Amino acid sequence: MRLLLAKYRHVFNVGLQNNLVYRWNFAMRAIFSLVHLAFVFILWGAAYQGETHIGGFSLEQTLTYFISLLVLQFFIGAFSEDYEISEEIRSGLINQFLTKPINYFVYRFTIFVSARLVSGLLALVPLMLCLPLIADYLTFPGETWRLVVGLPAAFMSAMIQFTIAYIFGLLTFWFLEIQSFVILSMTIESLLGGQIFPLDLLPPTIYRISQFLPYYYQMYFPAAIFTGRIDYNSAVQGLWIQLFWVFALLVMAQLLWRRGLRQHTAVGG
Amino acid sequence: MIHYVRLWLASMRYSVVRSMMFRADFIMWSMVELFWMGVNVAAIAVIYQHTDSIAGWSQYEMLLLVGTSMLIQRLLMGIFWSNLFEMGRNIRTGSFDFFLAQPGRLLFMVSTRKLDLDGLANVVVAAAIVVFSARKLELQPSLTDISLYLLFIGCGLFISYAILLLLASVSFWTIGTKGVEGGYFTLYEFSRLPKQAFSGVANVIFVWILPTVVVSNVPSRALISGFVVSDTVWLIGTTLAWLALAIFVFNRGLRRYSSASS
Repeated sequence: MRLLLAKYRHVFNVGLQNNLVYRWNFAMRAIFSLVHLAFVFILWGAAYQGETHIGGFSLEQTLTYFISLLVLQFFIGAFSEDYEISEEIRSGLINQFLTKPINYFVYRFTIFVSARLVSGLLALVPLMLCLPLIADYLTFPGETWRLVVGLPAAFMSAMIQFTIAYIFGLLTFWFLEIQSFVILSMTIESLLGGQIFPLDLLPPTIYRISQFLPYYYQMYFPAAIFTGRIDYNSAVQGLWIQLFWVFALLVMAQLLWRRGLRQHTAVGG
Repeated sequence: MIHYVRLWLASMRYSVVRSMMFRADFIMWSMVELFWMGVNVAAIAVIYQHTDSIAGWSQYEMLLLVGTSMLIQRLLMGIFWSNLFEMGRNIRTGSFDFFLAQPGRLLFMVSTRKLDLDGLANVVVAAAIVVFSARKLELQPSLTDISLYLLFIGCGLFISYAILLLLASVSFWTIGTKGVEGGYFTLYEFSRLPKQAFSGVANVIFVWILPTVVVSNVPSRALISGFVVSDTVWLIGTTLAWLALAIFVFNRGLRRYSSASS
């Protein structure tokens, strides 16, 4: 067991160092996200003109939701894991893992965790600089249960995000190019994951349906817990559905991996 | 002039043949763009479930604005995007040499080598959204109004082209230009907002300094409430200014280009 942990601890350390190299990429991304936040502020500011509440929430609450999304994204979002995995399969780099006592999924997940640690902390820097501008809009509910339920929800969201990206990466076993699949799914994720608008603004039936889809648990769910958009009962109920999706996706990933390897030809050279 | 039209037709033919070779690809990418447009339309539908106006714009006025913004973007995607996007890469790898040896003005050859048919296919969808909103608003534009709208769309296309050219020309100075795509999309997002929503610093940056808002707002307003001289002058002036700047920067950068060894 200790040996096992030591193995992936090294992977984690290498992942940290590798990702620190890309700090400017993350910084650039964080800046784009802040500009996007300006878009969100202007759009929702205009939508709230003449309304004190939309869907039962004030402007401050809605903006807090979007700010939380931004922070969460850098801590739990999958960025380019799908392309990296795809590239490793295509280029044959993956072959080295097949002959070593390393589980490829755990290996990639460890790198993902280290990468998000780096990008999450780096994204906080520009956000802190902007804090004086946005502090007035921040309003969080003070209940502690939100933290207790929200943190595991955020962790499971990260697992869902990563596993979906992993699955898309594995599609390379069958398809030459996965970019169009990834972007197509990104569109659905951004809509049903609550990045365009808080999902609770959807008509009730559609909102109810969305709660059974994995997208709901990618981003909206933890953000909604932290920012007070869902109550205790729905949060606890949601955790179970989220847990189901984590397992379902893990099983699917494992299945695809096995099937994919049968397709895979390792070429020497 | 005829020479250039023929060159353009030749690249068009080449692009069609290419797309037909990769049919599945064409369908997938058309779907991608269609879905993105769907997201934007859905966003409007949802927000207007809870409010009657965004900065004084009604639901269908807003939809017309978003449709207009998408129309320009699809045209850009279809005609110029991959050409300029690849320019950055070619400058880095030295493949840019290939264009220097071609029978026409460099900027023309660089910008019109390929067409993306999936982007162009979705121009029809974006146009349908505009027509649908106009119907819902019970607008009855005259032929002049429509021609002006199309002229304004053309201006919007060239402004977007200029911005993209500027971003791509950065490759002459730097090595990595990963931000080009992100930069364009992040900025272009603001074209889906009505001008009246901006105030303070945001107004100065996005309405007056950057052309992001004028690009979509002027054509939409012209269609909704008729032709305004000052808006027209503003849009055409902006187009010329940004094109001039982009071409200037491109030519400056070109002087630095020294190919790359293999």
